[in-house]
Amino acid sequence: MDSDSVLPRDGTADPVVRPLATADEGAHSRPHRTKWIKILLVWLAALVLWEGSYRIIQWKSWQFPAPSHVVDATLDMLGVRTYFGDPLAEGWPWQRAGAHVHVAAGDAKLPKAIAVSGVRLLIGFSISLALGIFLGMAMWTWSFLDDLLGPLFLGLQTLPSVCWVPLAILTLGINESAILMVLVLGSFFATAIALRDGLRTIPPIYERAGLMLAATNWRLYRYVLLPASLPAMASSLRQGFSFAWRSLMGAELIFMLQNQGLGFLLNIGREFADVAQVVAVMIVMIAIGMTVDRWVFAQIERRVRNRFGLMAAT
Amino acid sequence: MIVQQLERAAPVTTAKRIAKPVEWGALHTAPPKPGRLVLRNLSKRFADSKHAAIEDIDLTCESGEFVVVVGPSGCGKSTLLNLVAGMIRCDRGDILLDDKPITEPGPDRAMVFQEHGLFPWLTAEQNIEFGLKMTGVPARQRRQLVDAALRMIHLPHSGHKLIHQLSGGMRQRVAIARALVLNPAVLLMDEPFASLDAQTRTLLHEQVQELWLQTGKTILFVTHSVGEAVRLADRIIVLHSNPGRIRREFKIALPHPRDFDSPEVGDLIRMVRKEIEDEVNRANAEQINGQ
Ligand SMILES: Nc1ncnc2c1ncn2[C@@H]1O[C@H](COP(=O)(O)OP(=O)(O)OP(=O)(O)O)[C@@H](O)[C@H]1O
Ligand SMILES: [Mg+2]
Repeated sequence: MDSDSVLPRDGTADPVVRPLATADEGAHSRPHRTKWIKILLVWLAALVLWEGSYRIIQWKSWQFPAPSHVVDATLDMLGVRTYFGDPLAEGWPWQRAGAHVHVAAGDAKLPKAIAVSGVRLLIGFSISLALGIFLGMAMWTWSFLDDLLGPLFLGLQTLPSVCWVPLAILTLGINESAILMVLVLGSFFATAIALRDGLRTIPPIYERAGLMLAATNWRLYRYVLLPASLPAMASSLRQGFSFAWRSLMGAELIFMLQNQGLGFLLNIGREFADVAQVVAVMIVMIAIGMTVDRWVFAQIERRVRNRFGLMAAT
Repeated sequence: MIVQQLERAAPVTTAKRIAKPVEWGALHTAPPKPGRLVLRNLSKRFADSKHAAIEDIDLTCESGEFVVVVGPSGCGKSTLLNLVAGMIRCDRGDILLDDKPITEPGPDRAMVFQEHGLFPWLTAEQNIEFGLKMTGVPARQRRQLVDAALRMIHLPHSGHKLIHQLSGGMRQRVAIARALVLNPAVLLMDEPFASLDAQTRTLLHEQVQELWLQTGKTILFVTHSVGEAVRLADRIIVLHSNPGRIRREFKIALPHPRDFDSPEVGDLIRMVRKEIEDEVNRANAEQINGQ
């Protein structure tokens, strides 16, 4: 009896499952790759078409930028001056050739702005998470609190986060705390609601099993309910981040503070009518939001769900 | 007569057994517990229901006895088990385990649930270890007990696997091991094999029987399957529904493991089945008349 295959059914279970899984992968990987190549090609073609139309008909680049203008603006914010957007002449792209103008910089604004926004996000999101997790768990534990706050939170969650800005300005003034207030209020309701909903899906049998196995009082929370709530936590974390990020960008756009975040750069672009910078900052925002969502929160969620055998749903 | 029919039977000592001398290692060093379970006048009515789920049940499970409860769906079998487990409170009556009243869930009455209830965030061995950790058993001893338990359920190499990586039958075995390592006085099993296929069931019956013969635990077992009941039980309790009472008891004095081709077993199966069918018919008739 030194092997699990004492029981024929268990012995056969594995070989049946494994080949199926690998066959599946093999069948998927090739179409998967060609699919991505196709997608990339289409995007590339669109970019070429877009850029080409600017080059040929010289369309109004101050109303909407060509890809090359966006590249210039981005590099400019990184402290590198280029003229990709200029007509192809001698010295392109390092020397000015045409008439296209954007805010002269030579200063690495973008990394600074990302750092400023990052710090704000870290602080604000931590506060929002702490509040959201606390209230989500409290609402799950005490049904009265849920009856009291649940509908309110659902309502507040529908309020676009920039709508908190006037209130934040009037209560706290134009300063860092007001930005944090917008961020926190814009995201923690969503976290709390998502967590409560997730906690409700914990099968009651875990609690019963825990009690039977002598996990009483705080132990029940620490060793049973807390780990059982991990999938719910992971999705509420992800949900909370996307709300927090959007709130922060909105708040920074409106607040003109000394510490210049990404939203501030966006607004500067508007003030100087530099549409290339506006689009460049927007792309950076999207890229950061997506990267963090994909590579941090989706990963956490996937791992937890895998562990629980819930199959990744991203 | 081998099959005795007892109405409100007085406690009888358990049937003859064939004990195989197998060494389970660390599991054997645990001192055996008597595990005599006494239910007296036990009653429970859920709020907003017309009939009591359990009414005036008197039942004594002798130390080491294998008692199987059968009955139609909704007659109160799970309620009975949950009462003993301490998951729900009774309205009236007493539950005594070795003369001590039961008030809350605890590791002396380990339960195997129908849907295993293993923790998916832990591996199989961590699940088995869980109760030991909670009761403060030192790490080295835990390790030994878990290893012994894994061998006992014939899964010595699957300890590192996560729950969703195990088959249904393996999960139930892990659930049984998780309950057994605690050295409970009574093992409660609520339709533990209901969701498994026939072959796996038969295998697990053999294993449960083997475990029972080895460890001598008192087992209170709920099932829908008459075959399962007759295979395992020292005594079969057929419940009456609405209100949940004991309808009839069958004391089975046949030795284990039982020969299913023998006429006695055949008779017994027929008798128990008849009893349950009568109960279902009675309950249906009552329901139709009542409406
Ligand atoms: N938590 C509860 N609240 C209210 N009524 C309940 C509750 N649990 C069980 N009941 C009722 O008590 C009766 C007995 O239920 P129980 O679950 O014990 O039946 P059972 O014999 O285990 O049935 P099955 O074989 O289908 O599992 C049923 O009528 C059921 O509706
Ligand atoms: Mg039941």
